[in-house]
Amino acid sequence: MSSRLGRARTKTTRLYSFIFLFGVIYGQDNSNKSLDDILLDDNIDFAFDDSIFNSPFETEQESSTNDWLDNFTIKVSQQLYSQINHHRIPITPTLSIDRKRDLEINRLGTNVRYQNVFAPGWLLQASAQLRLHWAGDYQSEVENKNFEWEFRGNELFLQRSFANQTIKLGRQTVVWGETLGNSVLDVININEFRDFSIIDIEDARLNQWLLVWDFFGDDSDFSSFINFFPEFNPNPVRGSPFFFEMPFDLTEYDREGDLIFEVGTKWKRSFKGSDVSLMAAYLYENQLSFDVPSEAFKNPKPKVNDFVLFGFSVNRALGKLLLNLDIAYSHDVLLGSFNFLSNTSMNSGSSSKANRLGTSFGFEYAVNNNQNISIGIQAQKLTNIDSTPLDNFSGNERKVFGSWLARYSNAFNNGNLTVSSTLQGDLKGESLLALMDVTYNLNDKWAISTQIISISAADNSPLFLFSEDVRLGATVSFSF
Amino acid sequence: MNSNQFYSVFSLIFMASFTVSVLGQEITGLSIMQLVDDAQRQTNNSSFNKMQLSSCKFGVASGRITCAEKPRVKSLESVAKNYGPNLKDTKSVTITIEPPSERGIGMLNFTYDEIGRDNETWLYLSAIGRVKRIASGDSDEETEPASLFGSEFTTEDTETGKLEEYSFEILDETEIAGRKVWKIEMTPNEERSKKTRYSRQIHYIDKERHVALRSEMYDRYNKEVKRLMAARVELVNEVWMARSLTMMNLVTNRLSNMAFVEIYTDVTIDDEFLTQRTLTDVAFRETELEKLRLILD
Repeated sequence: MSSRLGRARTKTTRLYSFIFLFGVIYGQDNSNKSLDDILLDDNIDFAFDDSIFNSPFETEQESSTNDWLDNFTIKVSQQLYSQINHHRIPITPTLSIDRKRDLEINRLGTNVRYQNVFAPGWLLQASAQLRLHWAGDYQSEVENKNFEWEFRGNELFLQRSFANQTIKLGRQTVVWGETLGNSVLDVININEFRDFSIIDIEDARLNQWLLVWDFFGDDSDFSSFINFFPEFNPNPVRGSPFFFEMPFDLTEYDREGDLIFEVGTKWKRSFKGSDVSLMAAYLYENQLSFDVPSEAFKNPKPKVNDFVLFGFSVNRALGKLLLNLDIAYSHDVLLGSFNFLSNTSMNSGSSSKANRLGTSFGFEYAVNNNQNISIGIQAQKLTNIDSTPLDNFSGNERKVFGSWLARYSNAFNNGNLTVSSTLQGDLKGESLLALMDVTYNLNDKWAISTQIISISAADNSPLFLFSEDVRLGATVSFSF
Repeated sequence: MNSNQFYSVFSLIFMASFTVSVLGQEITGLSIMQLVDDAQRQTNNSSFNKMQLSSCKFGVASGRITCAEKPRVKSLESVAKNYGPNLKDTKSVTITIEPPSERGIGMLNFTYDEIGRDNETWLYLSAIGRVKRIASGDSDEETEPASLFGSEFTTEDTETGKLEEYSFEILDETEIAGRKVWKIEMTPNEERSKKTRYSRQIHYIDKERHVALRSEMYDRYNKEVKRLMAARVELVNEVWMARSLTMMNLVTNRLSNMAFVEIYTDVTIDDEFLTQRTLTDVAFRETELEKLRLILD
């Protein structure tokens, strides 16, 4: 079996190497063609007719009108994703899972955002999304319907800005940290791990009910928040790629009248070529923790865990290079809660806690105006594990663990066409995700993008059930 | 990109009428460009502009340059104010109004006159939800100038000051578009050569209105790579300026037009507005911008 796995990994390695390199090669600027055939001499009249630029000086009056519809931004998108590599995942020498080619996602999404400064210093902002899952989408398949729909309210907050302070109350997000993609400080917002589709970050974030107070000083800024109703990563949806049948169901957290809240504060100051932040917060871990039930036919109850976080974040601009560093020290985190979310990430019945030191380092390098390379490494280390016997754990948590991410992007035609490729893996080298994305903006309203995602994982990786998966996706969107 | 660069564009290289006459003294390329530089700061200070930035692939039709495709259009609002000794530093903020998919994207830029001090830029992407510092130091060797909102205009095209790092020569006195112009060659010195993509630039300065009607940028192989054309030269607040600037990239065959739809100078701008708060605090930003709009209306 190991040789078969080895050959399979070799194939996958070749595939994601191809995906990444194709992105890099295709992303190279090949537009150095000579324009000698276009004669630019003094005989040509270069007085441009404004009409070719939509006559900006004639539309001046129109643009000054304030239409209430201007407060809305709407995006409609149709998304298709398929797992296209038919393969088998060996579980034991005699048991394997058949991973067939299958359409997983076929959905129409509508995102609506409303932003209205209705009085001086007052802002009302709301956003929501509506999804229609057509036939073939895993969600409608589970319900055995031709289509299934769902609605989710994202933002709904009222903001009051006055003098050097701002107060925001309602459903919103708070973003901390400097390192994009691999931040260890972006802990307030929790992501919706539903499937492997590529969605807008606004969709991925789960807004929470917060009171946020910002103070803007002459030299530095303070920001504080209280989360009245902490929410947690949703469980995998039945039928989604992340869902695997088990003899029990994962349940949602039942507050049972418990009063739980999160609170935090941040200080930020900009220096010459650098921004520095210090943070402290009392938080709940985003990921619910489940114990394998000891009794048959009984669903496990999720456990929540509170902890204290101290964070430091800094960036430094050096010419074309931007360095980012996040450091977070978390006190009393629950062991076993760091795994990739899926039904496979179950605890073994312990409630051991530890302190965790996490660091995320990244840099972005602007090759030129259009090409950008970014690399991020996130590493975490448990600094003290309590007296509970460690035999209950896989042992992974005893070592330094984390992930890395490398991304290359190139924009053509003033950003109309963007090609990017991304590699993401864990520090132990047990899993690797390769993504290539091509996005083309047909105009200010229409855009089309295609992605190919490949996953390779060792059999001891949390991602091993997705090993050898290859997904091909396309999204068409219309914004107005 | 940053808003200061917009002001720089229409000021530094191309525009401005001067109340100071160059008559009565020896006319040199440097003296002309120094006057342009002074005018730039005059137009930068305490200004509020509404702009349209259009980009497209271009071609030649019937002897005229035209867009070969429907241009992508962005509407922007920007505010700028000068600071520092002799008001030679500039803080500016620019916000995207349209298209809807890019609404709220903004950039804050601090431009320093001090040699060796990098300019600072912060970008706010509403989708990411946070302010991100941009590495755009323009005093380091081999630094690539940043594009302005993805257009063909770059920071280098709009850079201010530092005239002492160039030599100037009046090559000719000729006519362009029916106007009498000085044809001035601008060549970087050895130090400046390390920081610029252009081996030389040629500007055609309107003799009467002191506006650059045309500028040519050459690469290190002495090939013209970009050309900038000015149009709609109008007297705005007693300063002649080109309200329509078109930058043609002769390598990629694309152009960007910057139209100054509305221009206001000498407006009262709170120092607090030119901070990162303006990027993230929509209520604060819109309230302050509305004050400016009302004053100007």
